Amino acid sequence: MTSVAHDHHHAPASPSGLRKFTAPGWYRVLWTTPLVGLIGLGIVGLIRSAAGWDPVWKSGPLATVGTVSFPMGLLIGLGGFDFWTYYASGKKTRPESHDGHGATSWKDYFRINTDHKVIGIQYTVTTMFFFVVSGLMALLFRAELAKPGDQYFNPQTFNILVTEHAILMILLVIIPAFAGLGNIVIPLMIGASDMAFPKLNALSYWLLPIAGITFMAGMFAPGGGPSAGWTCYAPLCAHQPMGNIFFNMAVQWGGASSIMTALNFLVTIITMRAPGMTFWRMPLLVWANFSTSLLVVLATPFIAGSQFFELFDRVMHTNFFEASGGGYVLGYQHIFWFYSHPAVYIMLLPGFGIISEVIAVMSRKPIFGYRLMALSLLAILVLGFSVWAHHMYVAGMAGWLRVPMMASTLLIAVPTGIKIFSWLATMWNGKINFNTPMLWATGFIATFVIGGLSGVWLGAVSIDIPVSSTYFIVAHIHYVLFGGSVFTIFTGIYYWYPKVTGRMYNEKLGKLHFWMTFIGFNATFFPMHYLGTQGMPRRVADYAPRFHDLNAFASIASYFLGASTAIFLFNMIWSWTKGEVVGSNPWRAMTLEWQVSSPPPIFNFEEVPQIVGGPYEFGVPGARHAILGSAQAEPVATGGH
Amino acid sequence: MTRGSIFKLLAYAVVAGAVTTAVAVLIPWLPTAATRQADRMWFSIWFAEIIAIVVFAVVAAVLVYCVVEFRAKPGDLSDGPPTHGHTMLEIIWTAIPTVLVVAITIVAAIVIHDNGKAGANPLVVKVITQQFTYQFEYPNGKTYDILRLPKDRNVKLDLSSKDVIHSFWVPAFGEKSDAVPGISTSIVITPTRTGYYPVICTQLCGLGHALMRSEAIVLEQAAFDTWYTSADAAPAPAAGGDDGKTIYTTAGCGACHTFTAAGSAGKIGPSLDNLSSAAAKAGQSLDDFISSSITDPDSSLAAGYAKGVMPSTYKTSISGTQLDSLVKYLAENTK
Repeated sequence: MTSVAHDHHHAPASPSGLRKFTAPGWYRVLWTTPLVGLIGLGIVGLIRSAAGWDPVWKSGPLATVGTVSFPMGLLIGLGGFDFWTYYASGKKTRPESHDGHGATSWKDYFRINTDHKVIGIQYTVTTMFFFVVSGLMALLFRAELAKPGDQYFNPQTFNILVTEHAILMILLVIIPAFAGLGNIVIPLMIGASDMAFPKLNALSYWLLPIAGITFMAGMFAPGGGPSAGWTCYAPLCAHQPMGNIFFNMAVQWGGASSIMTALNFLVTIITMRAPGMTFWRMPLLVWANFSTSLLVVLATPFIAGSQFFELFDRVMHTNFFEASGGGYVLGYQHIFWFYSHPAVYIMLLPGFGIISEVIAVMSRKPIFGYRLMALSLLAILVLGFSVWAHHMYVAGMAGWLRVPMMASTLLIAVPTGIKIFSWLATMWNGKINFNTPMLWATGFIATFVIGGLSGVWLGAVSIDIPVSSTYFIVAHIHYVLFGGSVFTIFTGIYYWYPKVTGRMYNEKLGKLHFWMTFIGFNATFFPMHYLGTQGMPRRVADYAPRFHDLNAFASIASYFLGASTAIFLFNMIWSWTKGEVVGSNPWRAMTLEWQVSSPPPIFNFEEVPQIVGGPYEFGVPGARHAILGSAQAEPVATGGH
Repeated sequence: MTRGSIFKLLAYAVVAGAVTTAVAVLIPWLPTAATRQADRMWFSIWFAEIIAIVVFAVVAAVLVYCVVEFRAKPGDLSDGPPTHGHTMLEIIWTAIPTVLVVAITIVAAIVIHDNGKAGANPLVVKVITQQFTYQFEYPNGKTYDILRLPKDRNVKLDLSSKDVIHSFWVPAFGEKSDAVPGISTSIVITPTRTGYYPVICTQLCGLGHALMRSEAIVLEQAAFDTWYTSADAAPAPAAGGDDGKTIYTTAGCGACHTFTAAGSAGKIGPSLDNLSSAAAKAGQSLDDFISSSITDPDSSLAAGYAKGVMPSTYKTSISGTQLDSLVKYLAENTK
């Protein structure tokens, strides 16, 4: 850290006495949460008793309002709205002291913090917490699935575990993990001192644990948890126990968090690039987050709508999706997938960006076909909006619609193929350093090609029909979202670990983690293709005895896969304090985040950097990506020096 | 590239292709097709399979080649050659995949077009689904809980649902469709092999989803005709089937409940063998208890069973006289 940055930084003075309870923080949370929460419930009771409805305290409306009012109380207590409330009410806002910035103790990670690097860590650690929780859920139901018949869980509990595992992995792990990594590196990569809207950034993080807790609270709701699968199809969902209200509402919190972060990324990337950083000089991760954020902003409102309509059907007796009331059941699926297919690219494009960074740096070569790589991201973005109904080939929608949906779906294989071929061409003739991040990136290509090819199959109507809703789909989605997304998240975590902590992770444990995951992953999920084509449907606690052997094998493999996560966690925690101290640029990368100290100074750059070239000019004599002020670390020398 | 490296790369590709082909061919991935539609679908799968094997072999070969050949030696801090791209190469790997996916699209489109044709005189069977049973209604108005089909005749299955989304799938038939409340969906199949096949619901439809199964039996046309016209086929409930046991079977009670008298052993709901004590516990007469438990299932729950599991649709889907005879049947045969 530079001394200049230190001068800006004043740790907030801890308030004492009763002031503790009025200043933003957890003491204030203690009373604002029950207060605002109960006010919400009280309003429900008042309206119902005024209208003469019986019973006055009805669980459905109470859960609907409570899942808004209690979290709002929490956010008010934490101080999420202080600035805007002061501003809107004409009160004098606190002068910007930057006291919301940076972290000097662990407590700084548990408050509204406006520093993008702190928020990035908050995001990443939260997602890893939920990764472990929903991974353990998977291990629980894999235990049930090791044998046919009912062993440990009744069908209700089994369905709850499956539903929670999927929705948490998607909304609380993969999507926000990229928001976390992006938060840490995007402002650094473009030479900005922070995100465009730091207060919004802090708020969008805090919506995330709220979403996670609401999803999990639903498991314990009276009557039973969300058990209609993560797709929560109407009309089943509206007729399931009350836990599904928590599900519908938690999606709103997670979705709002996603939209706010994406908006922040968009404005940051468009307006805050350092001088000289044209769009064609942006690192590919920045391109990827730009495309992803466009997808999030445009698509996420659709899943919010689908969940609200479903909730209204249940609580207000509207008939959006109730056939008996004139509703259109398939309408739910159309709206749901209009988000949830683009969501697949929301979960993949940032990973593509990470892989591009790592492969170029570790192969010591410029990325092959940079412009086509950037354009292919935009192609996926545009095509991604025209393919949603390929999830509905057997759903009973208009038959003709399947053909155009198939054509656009299969066309997405073209830009995706371009990316894979370009990564391979980047590695070709390189000087490849096979450290942990590169190992993960290579493993990603191997597994993602399998997921991509089975995706082409599923895009073709006549191949999809026999295998849809079977274990083939379970295999495919895990090859794409685990072998794809999660592998890229691990790639990113290992790659930027020395930047965030200033220390190197343990290389041996990193490689062990990779190999255990790679083997465990393939052993768990590859046999599921076969189970699917042979006739095992998904989302069943019980199955035909002839599928026993492969299921038992997959269950054992899944425990091996689960064990690899323990090694990862140990490595991360141990290395944070005990790892080898490394300089600012252990990978000899050219992008800007590696040109500042590790961990980076509190306001990132002492002077605004000047961008003078592309981000991956390895091997080009004398080439530089950026020129920084003298106090900063020297840019890495390239080829031949 | 030297001649040696090209040879090596080719060798990797051949090995990767051979291994993938072996996995594809030696493992019996697909059930033996039992309909003409499945034959066409399996053809499209193999068409895409060959393309997938070639693509996978190329990618795997290049990847393995890079991993083996382009490793930096320890301590080597130099950079690779500054290649920024190659326009021709990029055009090629944009164009070839485009051609391949267009080919797959065309093949798949032709297959589903052909599979959608029901021909001039199909046998139309209504598949009526509800939690967690299938009923198959034939043109003669009779309803069965097992699907019997003649070999080599086009069959059109019209799917409907009384409650939530279900689906109809026989793996060896290839075709599959959801049964959606409020709309009608259909599939066409032409069975080509006699035998017994499982009917599977693939759409999560509630707690009994894993047990929502039936059976399809494909018979020779003559055998089918004999069965179809025989007198001992079970009468449909709509056609005056007010006998309690028939209603118990056709309304699907047995899918979830154990009831010794009817020979059902469902495990989703409570057993119906000891209703008297349950009625006493609820403080109702046996008849009232059974009747209200059918029409308003949540009014009195057996210990350990959750609300909202049993469909609440029976109060409308069973007529008053049918309800009476069902109650009578249950009351007479329970303890």
